[in-house]
Amino acid sequence: MNWLEGMAKKSAKGGAVSVRSVNYSSSPLLASPTPAWRSKFLVAMVGLGFCALIGRAVYVQIIGSSFFLKQGEIRYGRTLEMPASRGRIIDRNGLILASSVRVPSLWAIPKDFDANKAERAKLAKLLGMSVKELEGRLDDNQNFVWLRRQVDEQVAKEVLALGLKGVHQVPEYKRRYPEGEAAAHVVGFTNLEDKGQEGVELAFQRDLAGRDGTRRVIKDRLGRVVEDIGDSVQPLDGRDIELSVDSKVQFFAYQRIRDAVAEHHAKAGSVVVLDAQTGEVLALSNYPSFTPGDRRNLTGQQLRNRALTDTFEPGSTMKPFIAAWAMETGRVTPNTVIQTAPGSINITGSTIRDAHPHGALTVAEVIQKSSNVGTVKMAMQMQPREIWELYTQVGFGQKPQIAFPGAVTGRLRPYKTWRPIEQATMSYGYGLSASLLQIAHAYTVFARDGELIPISLVKKTEPTNGIRVFSPKTAQSMREMLHMVTEAGGTAPRAQAMGYSVGGKSGTAYKQEGKGYADKKYRAWFVGMAPINKPRIIVAVMVDEPTNGKHFGGDVAAPVFSEVVQQTLRTLGVPPDLDVRPQIVSNEIPAEEESF
Amino acid sequence: MTRLNVVMLIMLLASSIYLVRVSYDARRLFAELDKAQSEERLLDIEFERLKTEKQSQATPSRVEKTAREKLAMRTANPAITQYVTYAKAAASTPTGGTR
Repeated sequence: MNWLEGMAKKSAKGGAVSVRSVNYSSSPLLASPTPAWRSKFLVAMVGLGFCALIGRAVYVQIIGSSFFLKQGEIRYGRTLEMPASRGRIIDRNGLILASSVRVPSLWAIPKDFDANKAERAKLAKLLGMSVKELEGRLDDNQNFVWLRRQVDEQVAKEVLALGLKGVHQVPEYKRRYPEGEAAAHVVGFTNLEDKGQEGVELAFQRDLAGRDGTRRVIKDRLGRVVEDIGDSVQPLDGRDIELSVDSKVQFFAYQRIRDAVAEHHAKAGSVVVLDAQTGEVLALSNYPSFTPGDRRNLTGQQLRNRALTDTFEPGSTMKPFIAAWAMETGRVTPNTVIQTAPGSINITGSTIRDAHPHGALTVAEVIQKSSNVGTVKMAMQMQPREIWELYTQVGFGQKPQIAFPGAVTGRLRPYKTWRPIEQATMSYGYGLSASLLQIAHAYTVFARDGELIPISLVKKTEPTNGIRVFSPKTAQSMREMLHMVTEAGGTAPRAQAMGYSVGGKSGTAYKQEGKGYADKKYRAWFVGMAPINKPRIIVAVMVDEPTNGKHFGGDVAAPVFSEVVQQTLRTLGVPPDLDVRPQIVSNEIPAEEESF
Repeated sequence: MTRLNVVMLIMLLASSIYLVRVSYDARRLFAELDKAQSEERLLDIEFERLKTEKQSQATPSRVEKTAREKLAMRTANPAITQYVTYAKAAASTPTGGTR
């Protein structure tokens, strides 16, 4: 009972403090002495809790911040690809020859794909394939298959309108070629990955292709870009390539050669038009051609850029070079008489013949009438090395200095291996080979007063300097001879163009097949320039295997030359240098007044 | 002293709320800018496509075909062209030429 008494004493003391009221609030029973450590412990715990929070905050904000920033970025940061667009290919007047456009491509996730039979049939029809093909495609991969790449906008819309599960679209770039088949061989094409495969697209792949850019961004919950983070790499668009080709000339040349091939039931044909002043290629057409946008049934025949890749024996078109060199070295003058009777010549046991025996001819007439005997007589006075050097200088047996894939070198054997009969045949164009472009290029020496200028497919701004091969005097008199070829008594009077004086040389040859020459398979060509006094263009035309009765270069290729010359000079704005009997209806006749 | 603290606390709170608001605005505007930029790119691409389309409707082959077949025109040649030189044209006005 001692402790109770003690309590009573204590409360009595307290009671003494508040006399007036009874102290109900504290009960001596409740007033158990709490040990002081408990409250301190509690405060310490709360304090510790705060410390832990602060510590965590410090850790998150300062020590481990990089980790958390990274995690945040992983969740919301996105790297966006910024595709660069491929450069355009334009012609000399700025018209588009090739340009990239955005088209949709359709793809599917086969494991999500869900469609009934009718829907499948509809989809297959829209995609232009059979149901079986479509199903085979869907079986290829469970996660991703292309249904069809680069479809028309309309097709994509209709497919998506079907509302099939697992079918999606993604934009891709596709090349468009407005000029179509007329310029197909020059421009070339790209594959699905936008990489050049042929022509200029391949030759200038590096310039045309841009560099894709990237940027890091933060995307919010709704997929909107809200912030740029880090460095962004701007996309570098591909450079536009400005070709020297003139679309109009190109189309016209294509149209003419196409018509000529059809008219003569030929296998193929090519036309090359060069600007004689700058060496630029104004047109380079081949037939058969192809549509670069739709290459599904493409054959190698259509794909060949014959003007550059097909070589043949240049035949009579080589004669002017021999004659010019003979004049240049003072061996002959244009009026030197050469006896070509009896129309054949014997060189170490082999006989070289003319188609018709001509008798005595001047050098000019040798060219005009394309006499083999006359040319051989001039060539046999020369050293093999001289002829070889001359041919090499004008580009035969040399790789054409043109940025174009597949341009061939042709064949010109070293002079040390020539036998005398080979030297003789080589003088009139047999025993060596060249492409049509090389022949056209070689003729720049006559068009440019004896200078050989480099050719170019890309538009040039500066005038070119050439390498002198002949003196201007020789080149000028050779041009006169070439002009005679197209006049009465020459081999190609049909090369004449209305209003423009022309000059050139025709060529006809049996085609080589295997080791020998094919029977009744010919190749006809014509190379010339206009206007003859101050040549502006060089045109070379080749028709392969004409089978419709005519096969001479003067009959088959020369008319094409004539039309191309006339149209091209007109397009270039060159005034006619020949008088033409005008057929213009006079405006002087007074008109009857109309009553109204 | 206490009063100053209270004022500063209020200022701090106001500033924080303002910061929240500004960064929200910044993000919204940025999203809008980005949208506008990508729209610009799409329009550029569309423009390029239309230009190409326009040209493929005006290729020499199509023009020639239409001129020949629909309009019954023929290719001009020097015989039916009256050439007028600039100098002459200045001296006396040409009586007119048909092409």
